[in-house]
Amino acid sequence: MRGADLLVSYLKQEGITTVFGYPGGAIMPVYDALYDGGLKHVLCRHEQGAAFSALGYARASGQVGVCIATSGPGATNLITGLADAYMDSVPIVAITGQVASPVIGTDAFQEMDVLGLSLACTKHSFMVTDKNELASVLQQAFSIAKSGRPGPVLVDIPKDIQLAEVEAALTVSSKDTIAEFDPALMASAKELLSQAKQPILYVGGGVGMAGAVSQLQDFVDETGIPSVTTLKGIGAIPNTKPYALGMLGMHGTKAANLCVHECDLLVVIGARFDDRVTGRLESFAANARVLHLDIDPAEINKLRQSDVSLCGDLRDMLPALSMTMSITQWQTYCRDLKEEYKWNYDAPYRSIYAPKLLNQLSEKLPDNAVVSCDVGQHQMWVAQHMNFTRPENHLSSSGLGTMGFGLPAGIGARHARGRQDPIVVVSGDGSFMMNVQELGTIKREQLNVKIVLIDNQRLGMVRQWQQLFFEERYSETILTDNPDFVTLASAFNIQARTITMQADVQPALDEMLNSNGAFLLHVRINEADNVWPLVPPGASNADMMEKV
Amino acid sequence: MSLPHQQLKLIVNQSPEVLERILRVARHRGFKIELLDWNNQAGELLLTVSSSRALNLLKTQLTKLVDVKEVIDLNE
Repeated sequence: MRGADLLVSYLKQEGITTVFGYPGGAIMPVYDALYDGGLKHVLCRHEQGAAFSALGYARASGQVGVCIATSGPGATNLITGLADAYMDSVPIVAITGQVASPVIGTDAFQEMDVLGLSLACTKHSFMVTDKNELASVLQQAFSIAKSGRPGPVLVDIPKDIQLAEVEAALTVSSKDTIAEFDPALMASAKELLSQAKQPILYVGGGVGMAGAVSQLQDFVDETGIPSVTTLKGIGAIPNTKPYALGMLGMHGTKAANLCVHECDLLVVIGARFDDRVTGRLESFAANARVLHLDIDPAEINKLRQSDVSLCGDLRDMLPALSMTMSITQWQTYCRDLKEEYKWNYDAPYRSIYAPKLLNQLSEKLPDNAVVSCDVGQHQMWVAQHMNFTRPENHLSSSGLGTMGFGLPAGIGARHARGRQDPIVVVSGDGSFMMNVQELGTIKREQLNVKIVLIDNQRLGMVRQWQQLFFEERYSETILTDNPDFVTLASAFNIQARTITMQADVQPALDEMLNSNGAFLLHVRINEADNVWPLVPPGASNADMMEKV
Repeated sequence: MSLPHQQLKLIVNQSPEVLERILRVARHRGFKIELLDWNNQAGELLLTVSSSRALNLLKTQLTKLVDVKEVIDLNE
């Protein structure tokens, strides 16, 4: 068989059923092998769309996502998606074609040093230089992507190697075993926990990535410790739990930020002290001791010194750490703050209030729905006002904050999940235009994806900051010249309608959710609506702004 | 005031890009390379760095590189 055939048969052996990509010159042998190779290939309309679809597929399924692109521009277009996956620890394998080995380094047509480009935005990367190593490289790529702290891996394959005669691959990748936690450190951790009077769990994306949601919920049920989550941790603890205080950080809930500010022990579970979480680092949980649990030793003491740290598998560590605790007074205090600062949807005006709309949407969606959002104000409103019971149901570009993520990630999720799981993309008018070409993928594949497009005719988050911190100098954030989104959708045979009044919301949401196939709900909102509360840049999380 | 120099010894896989990977991590994480002694045949790199940041931040990040087999702190 050819190297290209080996790749396709290897992917099938790995259990991969769907790949996302875009053909081109240096990847033609692989596309020839895909032609009748028995693998579902989704033609995205830009390589960045393919990368984000693979990412959405991986996030929504817990499996490795695969994307394919040609050399040069095909590969450079993948880079943003790889960077996003790297920041959010998502397992992806990216296959890129490369010009033929003899002309590498001659500035050949569509040649680019993709291995060089990959260094900063992948967990690891390979360029295959020997046809006999292709199978082993693929095996390593999958192992690395899903082992330990997951991440993206790139495999660059020169065209001559795709065409070379090779032996079939017989094995598949395995996941490296996770080193066991140190029992002596666990004893110290338990000691620290047992002394705490006002502990808080700071829950990150690591819980979902480790498949430790049920262990975490058992831990929460036994200890009764109040919890806050990061953007990527959303869904690991449902908001319905009595002491679940919601998201913390820049746009977190006031209750979450105040309780973290006042805690005496911060139990960090699969999280990394991102600046959007901590605000001014020196004042973040300043009086607390820190117990840090993570799979990645490099995250321990990176930004905040821990008193005790444990590296290992959260599925083992959480049950080992669990104990009953007497913290009733603290629980009551946290629950009262949660009640005091709960969201208020009684907007007085007749125009549409996006937080309320998203909350109404959330109440209509079943627990198995996936919401894929873009980046900006609407992303924060989704995080604040929609409820999730599993982390893999909330797809958000968290670490990199990449506009254009939502639509292709939703397409990936559509392929990852069964027909009974609704997929809803929530986007903004700025983000939506960044990968709008993926409407073509929805049309081509006849995908049942619902799109809620929150339109304030602004690059809203930047506009908000210009209003608050740049003296209302609205530089390049006014989009009153947006296209007609309903006409745009109809060009792709996608049903669509526009709503502008609060009274339209309920029937329009019902119409969208009950429609057959794709639907775009274009929601016009007031451009002055801001995301509140807000921790201003450089401030402590305890000093949140609540309005202008 | 100049920052103190600190030495690490790295045992690595001899992949063609391994030096780039190591140097990129050092620069990005805020470490200046003061001296470099590279033995390709042995797959050994002696790295002298300076930084206002704690050396442990660099050690843990270098340890994560797939092509780095061992990071030995010569200052201990």
